[in-house]
Amino acid sequence: MTKFGIAQPVRRVEDPRLLKGNGAYTDDITLPGTAHGVVLRSPHAAAKLLSIETAAAKAVPGVLAVYTGADLKADGIGDLPCAVTLKNRDGSDQFSPPRPTLAVDAVHHVGTPVAFIVAETTQAARDAAEAVMVEYDILPSITDLATAMDPGAPQVWAGAPRNVCFDWEVGQKDKVEELFAKAAHVTRLTVVNNRIVVSSIEARAAQAEYDSATGRWTLRTNTQGGWGIKEMMGNNIFNVPPDRFRVITPDVGGGFGMKLFLYAEQVLACYAARKLGRPVKWTSERSEAFLSDSAGRDNITLGEIALDKDGKLLALRTRNVANMGGYLSNFAPYIPTMAGTGVLASVYGFQAVYANVIGVFTNTVPVDAYRGAGRPESNYLVERLIDAAAREIGMDRVELRRRNMVTPDAMPYTSPMGKKYDSGDFRIVLDAALKKVDWAGFEARRAAAAKRGRRRGIGLAYYLEATGGAPTERAEIRFAEDGFVDVYVGTQSTGQGHETAYVQLTVDQLGVPGEKVRVKQGDTDSIPVGGGTGGARSLYSEGQAILVTAGTVIEKGRKAASETLEAAPADIVFEAGRFSIAGTDRGVDIIALAAAQRARAAKGEDVTTLDAAEIANIDAHTFPNGCHIAEVEIDPETGTLELVRYSVTDDVGKAVNPMIVRGQVHGGVAQGFGQAVLERTAYDPESGQLLSGSFMDYTMPRADDLPSIDVDFIEVPCRSNPLGVKGAGEAGAVGSPPAVVNAIVDALSPLGITHVDMPATPERLWQAVATARAA
Amino acid sequence: MTDIRYLAPRTLDEAVGAFAASQGAARILAGGTDLLVQMRNGAVRPGTIIDIKKITELTSIEEAADGGFRIGAAVSGAALAEHPRFGRVWPGVLEAVNLIGSTQVQGRASPGGNLCNASPAGDSVPALVAAGAVVTVQGPKGRRQVAVEAVPAGPGRTNLGPGEIVVSFTLPPRPEGSGDAYLRMTPRTEMDIAVVGVGVSLTLRDGVVAAARVGLGAVAPTVLLVADAARALIGSRLDEAAVHAAAAACRAACNPIDDKRGTIAYRTRVAGVLLQRAVAIAAERAGRV
Repeated sequence: MTKFGIAQPVRRVEDPRLLKGNGAYTDDITLPGTAHGVVLRSPHAAAKLLSIETAAAKAVPGVLAVYTGADLKADGIGDLPCAVTLKNRDGSDQFSPPRPTLAVDAVHHVGTPVAFIVAETTQAARDAAEAVMVEYDILPSITDLATAMDPGAPQVWAGAPRNVCFDWEVGQKDKVEELFAKAAHVTRLTVVNNRIVVSSIEARAAQAEYDSATGRWTLRTNTQGGWGIKEMMGNNIFNVPPDRFRVITPDVGGGFGMKLFLYAEQVLACYAARKLGRPVKWTSERSEAFLSDSAGRDNITLGEIALDKDGKLLALRTRNVANMGGYLSNFAPYIPTMAGTGVLASVYGFQAVYANVIGVFTNTVPVDAYRGAGRPESNYLVERLIDAAAREIGMDRVELRRRNMVTPDAMPYTSPMGKKYDSGDFRIVLDAALKKVDWAGFEARRAAAAKRGRRRGIGLAYYLEATGGAPTERAEIRFAEDGFVDVYVGTQSTGQGHETAYVQLTVDQLGVPGEKVRVKQGDTDSIPVGGGTGGARSLYSEGQAILVTAGTVIEKGRKAASETLEAAPADIVFEAGRFSIAGTDRGVDIIALAAAQRARAAKGEDVTTLDAAEIANIDAHTFPNGCHIAEVEIDPETGTLELVRYSVTDDVGKAVNPMIVRGQVHGGVAQGFGQAVLERTAYDPESGQLLSGSFMDYTMPRADDLPSIDVDFIEVPCRSNPLGVKGAGEAGAVGSPPAVVNAIVDALSPLGITHVDMPATPERLWQAVATARAA
Repeated sequence: MTDIRYLAPRTLDEAVGAFAASQGAARILAGGTDLLVQMRNGAVRPGTIIDIKKITELTSIEEAADGGFRIGAAVSGAALAEHPRFGRVWPGVLEAVNLIGSTQVQGRASPGGNLCNASPAGDSVPALVAAGAVVTVQGPKGRRQVAVEAVPAGPGRTNLGPGEIVVSFTLPPRPEGSGDAYLRMTPRTEMDIAVVGVGVSLTLRDGVVAAARVGLGAVAPTVLLVADAARALIGSRLDEAAVHAAAAACRAACNPIDDKRGTIAYRTRVAGVLLQRAVAIAAERAGRV
């Protein structure tokens, strides 16, 4: 087994570069002659834009331009697109409001871009921003999802009565009704899936330059794949062929879905670069990020499950109200609908499922995909419902789950939501997870904590994730002049360790030394197509592309070797990075062969070179699943909570690099714990201001909030891809919120508490205890 | 943009002179962990910044022959933590000072700055109130001494006169059988703002409370000295009734606000809980078995 072999915990090759400060993030790059842009944002949640006076701002020394929505309209700049149009239950289309890059006649949330100021320095642009005079007619705003559909609630868009963007449904409605009618028991629960501010460490940034001779832009910006940005820039914004854009994605410090989308500032940098004939750069400040990065989650969901007298789960019915924000971000309507509902049946043998999802506008930052994108919300609902049902019918919560799990002999299994699970052995994973944490011995730990005045609880969640994303992926393998093997990929690392995992796959296929493989990403000129990174798709999608491309390299190498070694191609064998004539010691190393062929081709000889590019069809996505178990202790007098134990048992298929998977799961668990316990996005109901607009007020998880997290794998190889891998990037954030909340409710259930909404802050827990004691 | 004058006088007289001469346009810079943030936010725009860290009296810690301490107003939390004796005599005060901000902020932030920032939630203030600290203030009219709880006037406001600078804190000698403690409640453990903070200082003689002081933060416009809580404890053996009475006195003293960090009901309730716990810690430190 080589150092870079499959299943080895290879240390991440990108880390020394990034940890020593040798990475190059978008803001690290400043081209000669760069001008600096600042966005003036609406201070109001809802207002008519009456006038904008820019003369004073333009007079500020160093200011090059002040652009408004009217300028962009005059130059034919298109609106920011939403790529999804859902059909309502009545067959009509969703309401899709316009989203101009800069506000034209109204603003719909605090932070809506109103003007773009470009100057020689950021400071001058900031000073000028203060000199822009905007006259607003302030309107009543609505930021509270729970009341946004109430009669009399302020209307975000005149074209969307009761603030409804769409009213969508999926599933077997009639069958679900039938099953509910004959159920022995029905459990109902309404849960809040709280709004998350994504808060990547690296803020968004964009730097654009325009070459008037060729009419091409080069946009450097932190994305999760520049190809989608390129398409939207050309097709939707500037009305030019997308190839007029070269999008370069430098190193990226965290995306979590939020950096998938096209943002106003990227458009503004491109627009200003063309107008001014200079590179233009914009970098978000943290407070701007709170007001302009797409947010995550934000649902209020009623879930109902029907059970028979033996605790068999018959049917699931949900009504989910999902916040869209003040405008529709690129994929916003897709997240709670197609993405989220697909996993509602989870690992359980429901006979039928029906989901109604209502998308609602509020005067808040637009919502879109965030780590898991709809699947965490569905898993949270289902796992909370099952705990609640177990309590109500007096059945052990583990037994209720075990009894209803789809068994391996049913695989491939098509769920009522139409998802085809290729593999999974849920009971084995469940049992291993329970054993690892001594689930059976928990009551002794509860009693010991009670002696210390603390309420201890244990909770489990069995999650099922459905990874997704673009249906094809490309890889190109080039043998470079300097002896390296360059692998060009269409995905985009934002910190996941792609530069290591892809090296492992290449080494496995081509037998070259890992030190000789370089992963190249993030330039839409050198990589013509790419699906980007999102939906935990990268390893199995790009992995298959690398596999197919490596196969072509080997075939070409076999042909080349047969020419060089003067043997029939059929007699050439490829093993451990070497082509040789079967049964002899005559052979040639693949890198040497590639170099020799390249040299001959350069002289004009008609020879086979080894470089190859292929596009793989990603026919099926993957269904990682696993069991999270949390133990918490709560101080009932103050409501403070400590997560004292966290354990994960995952089936991510084959783990190419277990160390990287563990890191991904740790990060996901931390984010899920943050959502469950800490992160509260608060808007002022009167003014619509974001109250939790900084890290003083918005509580991010930190290392000292979490215990050491153990992660173990039970590898049930994926049957829908040749690598046997399942996407693991989101899974941690899918399993942790329900595991943590189930543990909290378990801790407080002796007081009669049956549900606590996220985030379970000290105050909320204290209030729950105080209310229960008073009752 | 306007220019800002930066002064770093070596003597207190110079500092007071410059401060008085500025007629309100100057700000005192100790660690700068509040001032620089406020300037960056545009909340304050001083014409002059007077850095007091070059003045020895403001940056030194002295232990008097009688066992009392004098702490310069600009002494950083880190410097106080490194003092060989202070934390043994006043562990509660030290805990409170060391709760201000992160490790990096601890290298700069000072108890004098924390007091003059006049946040109701300043962490060091309730502990200093409980400790009975006296503040030395110097201004154009000379020096005066004032109880620490008399300095804050309301959120962001103090009772200091024009040109007056906080020079130092004097903590009294500690009799045998004394202990102090500070506990606070925040949504997390650091770098956030207290929703309740309680400082307790006790002196026990033969198991009976001979002296007690209680400081309460974040539940009223200023940090409070809760005399009723101290009265409930003095003369008792810290039996349940006495501690409950002290907790009730703390709750009665609360006049908090409702905000996203905590509701009135929560802050009030938790104030009593923290009082009980702080009393227990202080009593243990005082040597009660």
